[in-house]
Amino acid sequence: MKTIRTDIAIIGGGPAGLAAALEARRAGFQATLIERDAELGGILRQCIHDGFGIHRFKKRLSGNQYAQAFIDRIALEGGINALLGTMALEVSPDKKIYACGKESGMIEIISGAVILCMGCRERTAHQALICGDRPAGVLTAGSVQRYINIEGYLPGKTAVILGSGDIGLIMARRMALEGIEVKGVYEAMPNPGGLSRNLVQCLDDFGIPLHLSKTVSCVHGRNRVSAVTVADVDASKNPIAGTEEIIPCDLLVLAVGLIPENELSLKAGVELDPKTKGSVLNGDFMTSIPGIFAAGNVAAVFDLVDYVSLSGEMAARGAAKYLRGELRPNGYEPVKTIGNISFIVPQRLSKEATSCKQTFFLRVKEPQKTAKLRFTQDNKTLYSKRIENPSPPEMIYVEVEAGGESPIFAEIS
Amino acid sequence: MLLQFEELLREVHPQAKISCGIDARGILTLSGECGNWDEVVGIGHLAAKQPGVKNVVNRLSAGGAPAKKDYSPHIAAGWQKGVIEDADILVIGAGISGVGIARTLSKYKLKVCVAEMAGDVSAGATKANNGNIHPGHAVKPGTLKAKLNVKGNRMYTQWAHELDFDLIRCGAMGAITDAKLMPALKQAYGIAKLNGVDGAEIVSAERAREIDGGFARLGINDIAGALWLPSMGLVEPYQVAVALAENAAANGVKFIFGATVADILRKNGKVSGAVTSKGIINAKFIINCAGVYADEISEMAGDPCYTIHPRKGVIAILDKSRKPDFDCLTEVYSKPQAQKNPESKGGGMCCTPEGNVLMGPSATEVPDKDDLAVTREDLDYAMGRGSVSYSDIIRIFAGERPSDYMEDFLIEMSPVTEGFINVGGIQSPGLAAAPAIAEMVEGILKKASDESGAPLLPNEAYSPFRKRPVEFRRLSRQEQTALIDKDPRYGNVICRCETITEGEILDALNSPLPPMDIDGIKRRTRAGMGRCQGGFCQPRILEILARETGKPWEDITLKGEGTNILVSKNRLEAETEAVR
Repeated sequence: MKTIRTDIAIIGGGPAGLAAALEARRAGFQATLIERDAELGGILRQCIHDGFGIHRFKKRLSGNQYAQAFIDRIALEGGINALLGTMALEVSPDKKIYACGKESGMIEIISGAVILCMGCRERTAHQALICGDRPAGVLTAGSVQRYINIEGYLPGKTAVILGSGDIGLIMARRMALEGIEVKGVYEAMPNPGGLSRNLVQCLDDFGIPLHLSKTVSCVHGRNRVSAVTVADVDASKNPIAGTEEIIPCDLLVLAVGLIPENELSLKAGVELDPKTKGSVLNGDFMTSIPGIFAAGNVAAVFDLVDYVSLSGEMAARGAAKYLRGELRPNGYEPVKTIGNISFIVPQRLSKEATSCKQTFFLRVKEPQKTAKLRFTQDNKTLYSKRIENPSPPEMIYVEVEAGGESPIFAEIS
Repeated sequence: MLLQFEELLREVHPQAKISCGIDARGILTLSGECGNWDEVVGIGHLAAKQPGVKNVVNRLSAGGAPAKKDYSPHIAAGWQKGVIEDADILVIGAGISGVGIARTLSKYKLKVCVAEMAGDVSAGATKANNGNIHPGHAVKPGTLKAKLNVKGNRMYTQWAHELDFDLIRCGAMGAITDAKLMPALKQAYGIAKLNGVDGAEIVSAERAREIDGGFARLGINDIAGALWLPSMGLVEPYQVAVALAENAAANGVKFIFGATVADILRKNGKVSGAVTSKGIINAKFIINCAGVYADEISEMAGDPCYTIHPRKGVIAILDKSRKPDFDCLTEVYSKPQAQKNPESKGGGMCCTPEGNVLMGPSATEVPDKDDLAVTREDLDYAMGRGSVSYSDIIRIFAGERPSDYMEDFLIEMSPVTEGFINVGGIQSPGLAAAPAIAEMVEGILKKASDESGAPLLPNEAYSPFRKRPVEFRRLSRQEQTALIDKDPRYGNVICRCETITEGEILDALNSPLPPMDIDGIKRRTRAGMGRCQGGFCQPRILEILARETGKPWEDITLKGEGTNILVSKNRLEAETEAVR
């Protein structure tokens, strides 16, 4: 077994990991990137559509272009050891990682700090409790994207999509461009799950109908999908009897949510937040285990890749502080949420922190017309802002001057 | 008898138009029209309970004639292809009964062929059950089921040893929290003793808590007593079937997949072979292990002596992070149990040897032998046998129990057609009974061979042993390191959720009975069985399958013919190809 020693080990070479590696290097530390695929970039490699990097690069890049910008910088700056085709098998609380690969063999990576950037996986038809048969032709949107964009094959001729999150919308357009007839996008919620711009560019521009408060309840077809049953849903999202309609198709594409891939984190003993399904983080994006940090979609599912990269950089700056001995764990104070907030990241702030600029990512539970976002501490307002049309798909990103020992309240009213 | 039964039918089912007849053997045949399927099944069961009835052929229909499987294209295809095998024994069906029998017979100097309509072993009920090796306490005393269940349970220890598959003797416990249920508990104990269940005993609350830490964890402090059945076991059923089939293949058994048996050939009242969709297989003996289709095969052999009424069961698989409530297969009863289906209560919560909790199966009578659709009602029933969250579900599926109307196994040399052996009605506890079923069929065959003056001779090359493949996930880091050093392909993790490597997939593809599709690889390696259900690894497994078999990507299937995952190249690839 080979042993590699590094300052900061980063698991996952997607957008969070790439940004974290560069930032770690910028802070003067050695970084080792562990990537299971043969190339860096993560899921961005199969995202050939544009719209990436609007905030960071002020340009509309494709996913590949966005990732390549980081990969080029890594090559240019040097000092980052990327272990490709290497799968992390285990992270221990003392920051030792076991990983293996075809070329690398079994490796033990001993690090000063670890940044978890494993991303997320897709919920499946089974998890969405779709009943009926189990034929060929039921795939998650990400699998369809990989088959079409990376492998060069089409998995069907006539598709129904369940889920109007961005991935579902992007795949509706992608399939339409490939000549697959997209019968419609069905969404169990009363509101669309994706960004407004995607609703317009991916559905409206291609004449693909969106059906809200409707779900796919059943799959038909013993060998290959022949049809799906769609139905209206009640308040608890269960199909209502009598509203069923059968839609012939040979492909059902599921875009029914993302789940942060925290299996390694859990084995290491990292505490998770049931709301984000990612780890509980502090202001430096450090998890409940000192020296283990998390960023990107493994920490919380983000809407824009720009924020994913930003979170990677924040975690790397946190890891650098940790290695320099600037993070003294003197207890944390949870950030309390009030009103229409489904989650907030970071979930807690270091108690002794003197007032500094603190970044928060949050999502609302329900769409609202106009809302007021307020951060308070000791009954004093730290931050206040009016937000127009907040909705669950769009993440809210704010910077707040915060610090001190008493709890901070975040409120959307 | 018949008159009394007809009278009873008019009384209980005045609307139904039924005619019936009974032959000298006691095979009662029903025909006519009923209002619904439950009535069809109910009348079948009623008929089976009449004195002197050996079995029931139920040709009743509900809402028009039932859609019968059309065998004519398979017959035509078979005759066109002609004779493809000359065998001594033809086993129909590669489920647990079929592969168990084939493997047992491979110790003799016989040419054994297994014809399976699906593309792999274990494709029917065998893959779709909860892997319980029942102790034999829940079957009616005096039935063939009861005898073979208890015996088969015992024999599993040897099977697991020889074939190197996982067998966990977890034990089962039925605990009561109300002393009023003690008579019922004692009755259950009495049945267990009558059936000869090993080690069955009624234990005190204290002892029950000692055996199963689950009571303490769940804070159940009001146990009044429990029935303890230490012989209860758990296996991964498809793993057992694959192990048996691999060992059988290594001992010379020939497997023919995609072969639907469409007709049984007879000469002078004796079987001579079978017409399958892959061609004609000549055989001196035919062993019918066709699961839900066994009745149809028996009819092809000129012996329509039972009817299979499929009983569907839905099972939910939970994420490995959801640990089972109990250490053993324990259920707690606080009141007398009411059953939805009088013939089966279905299954509760159990944990597979690989560590996934299973909920179910449910038990619902369905008319269609190919109906494997999950219904919400059945799913709710399966999930209702314990307090678990639907959000822990990673997969839901259904199987069909091949039950006859006697609700017993039917294992016999046909008294009508010589050389034709029925192994029918092998529903639960068919998996537990499988070793004893194989032994019983071996006995029937031995007797018939001796009587025919050509006794069975031993296969000198026979070995009962089969080694399990490499399982990377179960090795220590040192062993994993050594393995990757030896063959780097074991370092390439393909299935992330279950940590399955390329090396293991290649091992499966080079095994004595290589899988042909994505699901076949799943059953042999676990790749795709985890929480993402192949979301990440399916494209990579497809790539390996295409590469290793030399097939185009579009030809790779999920689970046999007609289940291709990809339908065409994308525009760019198609255009590039056209230019080339």
